[in-house]
Amino acid sequence: MKRILSSITDGRGFDIGLVSLPLAFLFVLSGLPLVYNVVMSFQEVDMFSLGSFSRPFVGFKNYIDLFAQPETWPILLNTAIFVTASIAGQFLIGFGLALFFWVNFPGASWLRGLFLVSWVMPGLVVGAIWNWILSGDFGVLNFLLRETGVISGNIFWRSDPNYSLWAVIIANIWLGTSFNMILLSVGLSGIPKDLYEAAELDGANAFQRFWTITLPMMRSTIGAIVALGLIFTLQQFDLFAAITSGGPNNTSNVTQYWAWDLSFRQYDFAKGATISVIMIVFVMFASVVYVRSTRHEVRG
Amino acid sequence: MSIRKYAMLGAFALASVSLPALSASAEDVTISVWSLDRDIQPAPNLIKDFNKMNTGIKVEYRQIQFDDVVSEAMRAYSTGQAPDIIAVDNPEHALFASRGAFLDLSEMIAKSSVVKPENYFKGPLASVTWDGKYYGIPKATNTIALYYNKDMFKAKGLDPNKPPQTWDELVEAARKLTDPAQNVYGITFSAKANEEGTFQFLPWAQMAGGGYDNINAEGAVKALDVWKTIIDEKLASPDTLTRSQWDATGTFNSGNAAMAISGPWEIDRMLAEAKFDWGVALLPVPEAGAERSSAMGDFNWAVFANTEHPEEAFKVLEYFVSQDDRMFKDFGQLPPRSDIAIPATGEPKKDAALQVFVEQLKYAKPRGPHPAWPKISKAIQDAIQAALTGQMSSKEALDQAAEKIKAVLG
Repeated sequence: MKRILSSITDGRGFDIGLVSLPLAFLFVLSGLPLVYNVVMSFQEVDMFSLGSFSRPFVGFKNYIDLFAQPETWPILLNTAIFVTASIAGQFLIGFGLALFFWVNFPGASWLRGLFLVSWVMPGLVVGAIWNWILSGDFGVLNFLLRETGVISGNIFWRSDPNYSLWAVIIANIWLGTSFNMILLSVGLSGIPKDLYEAAELDGANAFQRFWTITLPMMRSTIGAIVALGLIFTLQQFDLFAAITSGGPNNTSNVTQYWAWDLSFRQYDFAKGATISVIMIVFVMFASVVYVRSTRHEVRG
Repeated sequence: MSIRKYAMLGAFALASVSLPALSASAEDVTISVWSLDRDIQPAPNLIKDFNKMNTGIKVEYRQIQFDDVVSEAMRAYSTGQAPDIIAVDNPEHALFASRGAFLDLSEMIAKSSVVKPENYFKGPLASVTWDGKYYGIPKATNTIALYYNKDMFKAKGLDPNKPPQTWDELVEAARKLTDPAQNVYGITFSAKANEEGTFQFLPWAQMAGGGYDNINAEGAVKALDVWKTIIDEKLASPDTLTRSQWDATGTFNSGNAAMAISGPWEIDRMLAEAKFDWGVALLPVPEAGAERSSAMGDFNWAVFANTEHPEEAFKVLEYFVSQDDRMFKDFGQLPPRSDIAIPATGEPKKDAALQVFVEQLKYAKPRGPHPAWPKISKAIQDAIQAALTGQMSSKEALDQAAEKIKAVLG
């Protein structure tokens, strides 16, 4: 008895106690809803059976119905394009900026801080502003492109099926770049300076130093950022709601917006849940990448 | 023994006589009302006035947000915490009525001296009707018509007192009024991929003999072709596909569009913002003499089926109905009734516009009613957008929509 007591105040019991609290928290607030969501995707749900748990199970019917819909594959493809292009854009520009500020000219840290403003802004506000910038007739972006001679006629970013998805991607890259930049800056400052000194003594040029020192030393940071980027872009909802609402004709629709539309606009909760399950699979994959790339960081 | 029995009976008799009296004076019946009306809109004000009358019924009000009405109501109903009365958007009324979530008010309406079905416009009344019974009372109504810029009509040699009457005239006028050099489009409306797109398109289909259950009718295809002509020839901004009615009419107010299709909710803003002479006309029809039609918006009152006080809830609704003549004067909303003459406001443009809207209301048709309306609406929106972006022909798009709707209607 005494052993158990003392283990709780100091020892394994204490550790288990500490761990079980957040675990219970996670289980109640994330685990249960996740399981509930998966269960819902195998049931027939409408708004009047939302309150009860005993709903008829329909097997894979929701999944089969979903993939029989003509818009499903285009929307999945849109999601893939959106995620890939957003991450690529955010990462490349973010890395470029991080390297730029790493040079450490006067005022660099100030400027870097200012860049974070875009990350602090609520998605809906960003969406509303980009909505104006991208507007076809009076948008600032069209004005700039026209005045610089890049285009001759207005591009209807939000309403032209060829551009609508890219309109949201542009806004999303703007929104996520600073987050990438800050994390990459942290990674860069963690690289010991003597490595570069040694390489310089051996006669490595800037490109070789970047390729053989910076990139390998940043591997875990980059892995974490790409994984986080995948999760953040799969979560991106506000910009779609504010800029295109998934239109025109689903050409800028992605799974996360579609799941919401099905559940809360068409009250087809089962299909909404089904799409969410498909998304969970992708996010799980990203989480594994994230955990693997950051596991070396924890030392104790 | 027997004495005690009699005493019990006596006490019981006494109690049963005195209870109703007691409950009326000592303990008021509480009726809860949910709607999305803000403090300057009808519900909270009518409730305040009602509570002042001390009828033994106390009304509690809760404001809900537009996007939450249905989901909140569902959640409350399925967990047994629904309010007694709710205001619900008219295309969603059937969803609740068909599932028995709303109380059938037919008998109470038949006995009522205040609520009389014959006083209502056909459209709003149809939206509360399910299976021949009344599951609610129309709260307010609105519809769409054609706003036009009289100054621009004059400048382009069109008669400002002869707005376009038919679709052909509308397209022709739009062609004349479009002036890219001045950043002016001929017309503006909303073909957005949400309920607004359906709201704007259905009247066109209905005028030409189509409808939500006959969406690929020849006339409906022609209607969509007219829309496509307008978009393809850039008589309206391509952003029509992603812009709400409110934003679209904003471009009319700023002088960037010469005509606009929208509802009476625009009038006050237009009076404040538009620096030109404008008028309102009935929606153009397919050809002279064709059947008119229009969209019908706004909310209905309904009583939830699991209310404990149906009689009292109905009394509250009767009070709301008795105040319908204040709807426009005090709150700027159109009462859903044909027997109430809307008094002049003294603002000539507003009064002229109102007359047109009241006339247009006679032709307003509800969306549905059908319990799966959101799915039907989605099929129509998808068709509009597929055709206007050129991904399908109007016929193909509407055929596909008809197919989807047939699956929903079963």
